[in-house]
Amino acid sequence: MRKHPEEYLNGNLTAMIDVVFQLIIFFVATVSMQDTVSDERIRLALAPSGKAVTTKDPREVNIDVDKSGQIRVARYPYSHREVAFMLKKLVKDNGHNQIPVIIRGDMQARHDAVQKVMDACAAAGIWKIKFAALKERGG
Amino acid sequence: MARKRKKNEMQAGELNLTAMIDVAFQLLNFFVITSHPMAVATNLDVFRPSPDQTSQPTKPPTVLRIMVLNGGFTLNDQPVTLAMLKDKLGFVTANDQTQSVLILCASDSRHGSLVEVLDLCNRLKLKNLSVISSS
Repeated sequence: MRKHPEEYLNGNLTAMIDVVFQLIIFFVATVSMQDTVSDERIRLALAPSGKAVTTKDPREVNIDVDKSGQIRVARYPYSHREVAFMLKKLVKDNGHNQIPVIIRGDMQARHDAVQKVMDACAAAGIWKIKFAALKERGG
Repeated sequence: MARKRKKNEMQAGELNLTAMIDVAFQLLNFFVITSHPMAVATNLDVFRPSPDQTSQPTKPPTVLRIMVLNGGFTLNDQPVTLAMLKDKLGFVTANDQTQSVLILCASDSRHGSLVEVLDLCNRLKLKNLSVISSS
């Protein structure tokens, strides 16, 4: 006995729709979790030998230096004096203990721009600093 | 009357999901196309010599001095390429990974060159790295 053509089309779509929505929720969730504080215009140099960053210290301060030498903290432009003032205050608030400072310098930035940030760290009594780099480039 | 009720039941059971599935697939396509793998970040640790250390008039002979220039490098005042620097540092540090490395950066050098040197030192497992700026 042959099936009526309409019977072939009456498949249960519930499972497929569930999977599609699961995928959409996954992509929406992962896109919103990307770091929005760091400046994506900065092209970090490659350092394949470095350890991948897995944990983040909540006290850490990321200071961006773009290729024109502009210093930014959380996307806001700062002068090196303002950076020094901010770091001094953070060190004071932290009981005069060291705070982790990560300099995110563009690979084309001149060293004298990075040096200003390093000097600001020195003025605040921070002697151990980190330079951000990429272990692997993203897509 | 009975005939009318039967017709209503038939209408309640029919739900056209085509438009919703189309929208869902459009959204899925959008996110698949626009999302890209995230870059893996790394942090390279360096020390800044404290004022007491910089005031020392002479440098101990065991310190390796790498100078980062705009377009080149020197190792203990000898011009080297990055490949030569890798070989020489590898030879020097083969037996002693506690060797101190002083990295001097020229003010017009590129930050990417400094990161290359730091990455090289990291690969050779050199830990005592200091970065200072040369005027």
